[in-house]
Amino acid sequence: MSEEKRVVIDLEESEKTQIGELSETLSTDVAGVLSVNNVSEKSRIWNVRVLLGDSREKTNISEDTLNAGEIEAGGKWEYEYTVEAEEPLLAVKEIFDTCGEIPTEEPHWAYSHGKTNPVKITITLKNESEGKMDEIVLNKTIPKDITDISLDSVSVGEADYDDGTRQIVWKGFEIYPHEEATLVIKGNASVESTDVTNAGEIVVTYRVEEIQRSSLDPDMTALTEFLTGVDTAETRPNHWECTLECSNESDLIVRIDKAEVYLAPEEGGEKVKKIDETPRVELKPGEEWSTSFEVDSKSPPKVTQEVIYTPVRTVTKRVIGRVEKTPQSVPVYKITYTKEFDPPEVSSFDKTPVEVNIEVKNAGTARLNDITVVDNLPDDVMPPKREHITIWVAGQEYTGEYELTIEPDDQNPETPHTLTFKLKDLKNSVGELEPGQSIKINYAIMAWRSRPEKEYPSPIACSANIYPAGLDTEAASPEDGHKIGIIYKKRRIIAKKAINRGNNPGEYVVMLSVENRGEVTVENIMVSDWIPQGFEFVSCDPADEAPRLDPVDDGTNMVWTWPRMNPDDKKKLNVTVKGEGEYERREPEVTSD
Amino acid sequence: MLKITYFGNTTFLLEAGENSVLLNPGKWDGAPIVPDDIDVRLIIATNHLDDALGNATAIASHSKAWILGNEETIEKAKSQGGKPWLLHVLKTEEPYEIPGFKVTAHPLTRVDPETGEKVENLGLHIEMGKMRVSYLGDSMVRGPFAQLEADILVVPISGEGVFPVKDAVSLCIDASPKIGVAMRWSSEEQTVKFSKYVEQFAQGCTPLVMKPNQTLTTEWSAGYEFKFTLS
Repeated sequence: MSEEKRVVIDLEESEKTQIGELSETLSTDVAGVLSVNNVSEKSRIWNVRVLLGDSREKTNISEDTLNAGEIEAGGKWEYEYTVEAEEPLLAVKEIFDTCGEIPTEEPHWAYSHGKTNPVKITITLKNESEGKMDEIVLNKTIPKDITDISLDSVSVGEADYDDGTRQIVWKGFEIYPHEEATLVIKGNASVESTDVTNAGEIVVTYRVEEIQRSSLDPDMTALTEFLTGVDTAETRPNHWECTLECSNESDLIVRIDKAEVYLAPEEGGEKVKKIDETPRVELKPGEEWSTSFEVDSKSPPKVTQEVIYTPVRTVTKRVIGRVEKTPQSVPVYKITYTKEFDPPEVSSFDKTPVEVNIEVKNAGTARLNDITVVDNLPDDVMPPKREHITIWVAGQEYTGEYELTIEPDDQNPETPHTLTFKLKDLKNSVGELEPGQSIKINYAIMAWRSRPEKEYPSPIACSANIYPAGLDTEAASPEDGHKIGIIYKKRRIIAKKAINRGNNPGEYVVMLSVENRGEVTVENIMVSDWIPQGFEFVSCDPADEAPRLDPVDDGTNMVWTWPRMNPDDKKKLNVTVKGEGEYERREPEVTSD
Repeated sequence: MLKITYFGNTTFLLEAGENSVLLNPGKWDGAPIVPDDIDVRLIIATNHLDDALGNATAIASHSKAWILGNEETIEKAKSQGGKPWLLHVLKTEEPYEIPGFKVTAHPLTRVDPETGEKVENLGLHIEMGKMRVSYLGDSMVRGPFAQLEADILVVPISGEGVFPVKDAVSLCIDASPKIGVAMRWSSEEQTVKFSKYVEQFAQGCTPLVMKPNQTLTTEWSAGYEFKFTLS
C-alpha cells in the first residue's frame, strides 16, 4: 500500500528571550521559518503559491501570497520571517536569597561581609503555552563565592551539580500547559571583597510542538503530475456522452477543487458551461476521477475543460525557545567605624567634658536600612542626657525617630554605662544609607576625677543590615579598646603652720596656710591640726571656716574638709586657742583624693 | 530684683534699686567697652590690667563713682588721675558694704597676657537685689567659689589666661548656681560647648550666653521662686 504523501508546510518559530537580574523580561525576539517540503519521491510540484490571507498579523510578511515556484521531489523551499512577541512561552523566575535561613516576604539581595551567608536559590519554570513543553534543559552557573552546594529539592526531572564546571544541569522533564517546575539550590557564600559580585547566569532551552507564536494559517496551491481530458463518445446517433477524466499521476495526494467543461454550439455562438463542479475530492496516487454530460450533436461536440487541482498539504508547527537570564548583581554590605574623644586625654583627678564622635560608614556596595551602635562608657565618666545627643545621617542632622537606651538610665559617674543607638527603617524615614555615606553621633561625657593608675576602656560595637534584614554585618573594637587617655597631673598640697602669741594672756593664734601647688585640682581635702591638752579652741578666722573638733587622748584635733582645691588655690586660717603652758607644735596633716 | 547688663568681654553692669555697679570696664585693643559718660555708683576692677581697669578712672570722674579693687589696681587708678576720695582698696575676705550692696573679694589669680606671669585677680561675691552673684573676673582658679552659695555665677571660658570651658563647667557643677553666665570667650564654639555642657552636667543650672547690651533680670517671685528674663 502506497504511503499517502502530502506536501508539508512547516512553521518553525524560535523565540529567544533575555530576562533581567530580577527575572523581568527585557526582550523577546521571535524568528520563524516557513518551509514547503515536497515529500514526493518522484514528482515535482510547480507554480507553488503559499496563501497566507489575513493571518500575517504581527509578522513582517507583507504579501498575502508567497510564490515558491518549482520544488523538486524531496526538495524544500524556505521563507524567513519575524514575529512580534512580548513574553516567552516559558516564564523563568529566579529568587536568589542571600540569607535563606531568615524567611522574609522579599528575598535578601546582598552578602553580609565577614559572614557565611546561607544562600537559597529557587528557580521556577512555568509553561505559559497551551502545549506540552519538553526537551527542557536548564543550565545554572554557580559563582565561585558559593560553596557547599546542595540540591535541596527538584519537583520534576533530574538535576546534577558539576563542581568542575560549576554548572547545575536540570533536565529530563516536561511541563504541561500552565504548570510549573521548581528547583531549589542551597549553598554558603563568603566574600572577602566588597565588590559587587553576581549570582550566576541561567540558560534554559525548550520545545513546544503544535504551538506557534505567529497566527499564520498557511494554505497552498500548486501543480504536479496530473492528467485531465474529455472523452466524447456517441452513444446513439447524434447523441454524445462527454466525460471529463482526471488522473493523479504523482505520488502525492491531489485535491480537485474545481472542474468546468464548456461546449461550443454547432451553430456557433457563446460557449456553454456544461460541467461546473467543486468536488474537493482528494485523489491518491494513481486514482482517477471523472464526471460527464450528454449532448445532441450532428458532429462530435467541441468541448474545452478547466480543472483546478493542487497537491494536498499538511501544516506542522513548533516553537523552539531559549531564555537567558542576566546574572543578578549581588552587592556586599559592610561598615567601618571611627570613635574619637576630644580631647583625647584628660587630666587626672579633674572634671573634664569630653566630646565623643562616632562615625559609622557604609563601606560596602549595598544600601543600609538599619544601623545599631552599642557604646560602652567606663566608670568615672558621667554619661550624656539623651537630649544632648546629635545624630547626622548622610551629612544631614537626623531628627527622625531612633531608639536610644542608656543602661543604667542615670548620670551617676561611679558606674559604667552602655549607650545603644538603633536607627531602624531608614528606608522609610530619610532613605537608606548609600555606599560611601555615613552616620555620625556626637555627644559629650564628663570625665569625672579620672585616676591615673586606672585604665578607662570604652569599647564600641556597631552593626548594620539591609532591607529586608538578613545577617548583621559588624564592626567592633576590642574589649579594651578606645581608652580615654589620662594625663597624670601631680598632686602637691602644702600645709604651713605658725604659732604666735595672742593679744590676751594664755592665748595663741595658730596660723595655717594650705595651698594646692600641684598641677591638678584635688578634692575632698582634709586638714587636721592638733590642739595640745590644756588648750581649747576659741575662734577661727574666717569664721565660716570653723573646724570640726574631735577630742583625742592628748588634746583636741581640729579638722577642716574642703571638697575641692584648684591649682594655686590657697586657704589661710587663723585659729585662736587659749590655755596654760607652752603650746606644743605638731605638724598639720593633709589628705585628699 | 537684680538687673544685669552685659557689654562684652568681662564687663557687666549690675543694678538693683539705687545701686549700680560696673564690673571690669576694660579696654580691648585700646578701645573701652563702655563709654566714659556711663552713670554708675560703683566700679570694681578685679585686677590692674587694662582689660579689667580700662577707662574706670574716666567713668568715675564723670559719674563720681567709687572705684574698688586690690591695692595694685587702686595704685594704677591713682596713676591715671583717679580722685583719691573715689578710690577704695578691697581687702580680700573682708566684706565691703553699702546699703543694698555687699561685696566680698577673694584672692584668685590670672595670667598677664603680656608677660605670661600670674597676677592677682579678685573673685567677687556680691549680694544685691536679694541675689548672690559670684563673679570670677579674669580668674584662672576658682578659690572658694565652689563653696560659696550663689544664685548667679559669672565665669570666663576662653582658656587664654583664664578659665577654659571645662573649668567653668566644673565650677557650675560644684557651685550649683541657678544661672551660669559665660563671659570672655574667644570663639563661638566655646559658648556652644559651655551651654551644652552646663545644661547636660550641671543639674539645676541654666547656662546663659549673653549678647552685648543684652539684659538679664532676676527676681524672687513670691519671695521664693527664682525667675529670670533675658531681653
